[in-house]
Amino acid sequence: MDRVVITGVGLITSIGEGRQTFWENLLAGRSGISEVQSFDTSAYSVHRGGEIKRFAPEKYVRNQSPGELGRSSQLAIAASYLALADAGMDPERLDPVMTGVSMGTTSGEPNQVERFNDALVAQEPERIGPEFIGRYPCHRIAGYVAGEFGLTGCNMMIPAACAAGNYAMAYAFDAIRAGRADVMLAGGADAFSRITYTGFARLFAIAPEKCQPFALNRKGMMPGEGAGILVLESLANAQNRNAPIYAEVAGYGLSCDAFHMTGGHPQGDGAARAMRQALTSSGLTPEEVDYISAHGTGTKSNDQHETVAVKKVFADAAYRTPISSIKSMIGHTMGAASAIESVVCALAISTSRIPPTINLDEPDPECDLDYVPNVAREHTVRVAMNNAYAFGGTNASLILRKFEG
Amino acid sequence: MEMEAIRSTVKEIIANATNINPVDIGDTASFQEDLGLDSLSLLEIAVDVDHMFKLNLSDEELSARLQELRTVQDAVEFVQSFKTQGVSA
Amino acid sequence: MANRVVITGAGVLSALGDTPETLYAGLCAGQNGVGTLSHPDLPTDGYAGVEISGFSPQTYLGDKNFRPLDRTSHLAASAVHLALSDSGWTEDKLREQIVGLVLGTMFCSVRTIAEFDRRAITLGPSYAKPLDFANTVINAASGQTAIWHHLRGINSTISTGLSSGLQAIAYATDLIHAGRADRLVAGGVEELCFESVYGFGRAGLLAGDGKPSENAVAIPFDARRNGFVPGEAAAFLMLETLDAARARGSKILAEIKGYGTAYDPTWGRTAKTAAVIEQAMTGALRDARRTPSDIRCLSASANGSVNMDAFEAEAIARLFAQAGDLPVTSIKTALGESMGASGALQIVAMTQTMQNGTLPGIHGLTHIPENFPLTASCAENRHGDFPIALINAINYDGHCCSLVLEK
Repeated sequence: MDRVVITGVGLITSIGEGRQTFWENLLAGRSGISEVQSFDTSAYSVHRGGEIKRFAPEKYVRNQSPGELGRSSQLAIAASYLALADAGMDPERLDPVMTGVSMGTTSGEPNQVERFNDALVAQEPERIGPEFIGRYPCHRIAGYVAGEFGLTGCNMMIPAACAAGNYAMAYAFDAIRAGRADVMLAGGADAFSRITYTGFARLFAIAPEKCQPFALNRKGMMPGEGAGILVLESLANAQNRNAPIYAEVAGYGLSCDAFHMTGGHPQGDGAARAMRQALTSSGLTPEEVDYISAHGTGTKSNDQHETVAVKKVFADAAYRTPISSIKSMIGHTMGAASAIESVVCALAISTSRIPPTINLDEPDPECDLDYVPNVAREHTVRVAMNNAYAFGGTNASLILRKFEG
Repeated sequence: MEMEAIRSTVKEIIANATNINPVDIGDTASFQEDLGLDSLSLLEIAVDVDHMFKLNLSDEELSARLQELRTVQDAVEFVQSFKTQGVSA
Repeated sequence: MANRVVITGAGVLSALGDTPETLYAGLCAGQNGVGTLSHPDLPTDGYAGVEISGFSPQTYLGDKNFRPLDRTSHLAASAVHLALSDSGWTEDKLREQIVGLVLGTMFCSVRTIAEFDRRAITLGPSYAKPLDFANTVINAASGQTAIWHHLRGINSTISTGLSSGLQAIAYATDLIHAGRADRLVAGGVEELCFESVYGFGRAGLLAGDGKPSENAVAIPFDARRNGFVPGEAAAFLMLETLDAARARGSKILAEIKGYGTAYDPTWGRTAKTAAVIEQAMTGALRDARRTPSDIRCLSASANGSVNMDAFEAEAIARLFAQAGDLPVTSIKTALGESMGASGALQIVAMTQTMQNGTLPGIHGLTHIPENFPLTASCAENRHGDFPIALINAINYDGHCCSLVLEK
């Protein structure tokens, strides 16, 4: 079975489009959180989020009319172009049969349901045209990406909520290893929406001002949006074209708490199992992990349960392994989150730098690990673990390692 | 508002959120142990109670009070104290 | 070959019954599940649809509180309950051993998502219901089902449109082959609701624009066809390695021999579509190490769509030299297009055909199109030996999946 490497990364986030700007802002600890503008929040008790302001899909979408696509699809296509460029691949010269797409999302295109409802509530259902079915179903996100690049290979959509990016990466990894594809565009996308915002507000889960993962006074998560795409390639393919390699995909672990729809298991059993499976499938021990990209949403319960789970697996090594949450800066980008965090892991490995958890003003005694508080750090990363936990209790851990031949 | 009327309405609300027959909901039944409700169901009930009795609780108040409501009786007393406050305010 | 994957049980909820046997009997008898939708005050009132009428979650889920689950989750959890029972996986066993779940669905709970939003915009965000929000994520059904049945393994949701159920089963098969799971429940679920039906209608995909009439014909391959009838169903399989199934003396319904997928980036708009469908079927045969002449019958994805049925017929004709002799059927006259559940339903029906020797015909297929290549495809049932079958699940907008099932 061929090995699988990452040769390109692309992202659209609230702190920058593309690898360079994103990484620079991330290491500088910049926040992408702002006042919500895409809908009226005056009836809510919270008003902030990680919206991407000034995204221009027409800058990227070439082979279709950008206005015909939902926002998540636009973000996904944009990030795909950036990833392909980053990988030194010409989008017009991809092998259509052996290049596939594997995407994750939490809500798909919820703005399309909002449009549907706006028409219905106004008693004008005839305003709803063929575009609802054309744009809304979440498989359209992976579909529009394939449509943009003319790809006939594997095409997968895994809406595994907030762990979806990792699930998409895992599928892409397996597909290449099984010889079903040579190249996979893998990642996730989710657009900001009033549905998602209303839901989290209803659970009292949204922080009023900023996201403070692992901090004593953390007040909740911060809904965000974005897309992250990685070019996964068989090692043979990458070497044939002398592609620079960010990292190798070493393995993954997937599990389910089967406990609660919106809260994790307090003993972190499912999360621990996913981490252990990831390590076993990668042939690695916890001591060999140099950096963990946390799920770290900033809610009281997630951050505490996650800490318990990490300690369960890493024991004493937990205290020596830096673990940071970029959700402190860009909020929770839902289905894109673990894809963007996979990019972070790849960049940590290739640049020997790890991003901080910002807004960590006062530490929580129950969260006593090294969360890289507030300031980025130089750190040699040979192995990085990316953890993601989703609604429905589904857990996914992905491990990347430095490619050393 | 009469305690009995409050209790009966609270039980109806719990019944709607859980499919448990109101007559099977004991006056002192605990939400978690006796009725097997998780935090999400509890939140749903709290939200319905707020709306039904027009308590107009803010998000902060509702979120804070949720932790204190352990039994059916707690919920009934909470509503009654709020309604009484409302009248005297 | 390592880790051969077999089906050790099946659970199904459909308009023709809640056991594989009643489903099969209904298909063979030419029963038709198409009815009229009752959606008072909504534009889809009176539309044609295939509903599971009288569905009571209590029948399958017992007396435990199932209010936190919405209807899609009720259907999924109920069908999974049936699959687990059918394969001998008791509650005790599930506490001891880890079983995962792969669930295919096109929309999951678009009704819940839409209702959640409508309540918030008409009454205000503080009136939105917390339990409903938990069901607005597209993996809600797989999460709720896992909680209900204590399924602590991999939990994945596959959403590839009409091919979701078949692709979920293919994905699960891959995981078992690769040694990432020993056993998985895999299948698909789709609920019929105003939002999806209206959406399909506005996109011109429904027979007769949705309303039943003489001109609304949803018979696969028929010359008069002009669209599909939407349906709802849930169908799940218990998948295990052959070794594990033998070790515990379990019945074996069939083996998943291999599968192929391909994507049509023109979304059904050009002649390229037939070639892509052929690519998926060729891929399935290659994966299963079988040749076209090994295949004894085919369960098509055809649902009455004008273009897609024609593309599929063309692809089958190109691949099978003696296509005229290959019995091709479709379950969708009887069951409509149940989207995420379709592919899984097709497999359940085919396992029954393999055991009992009758391939239900496409009842109502009376007007054969001119130059129709699949001359062995007809309204009548076929009797014979069908140990190897090809199952197709194809989207009108891209995804094509084909799977080889073997007795």
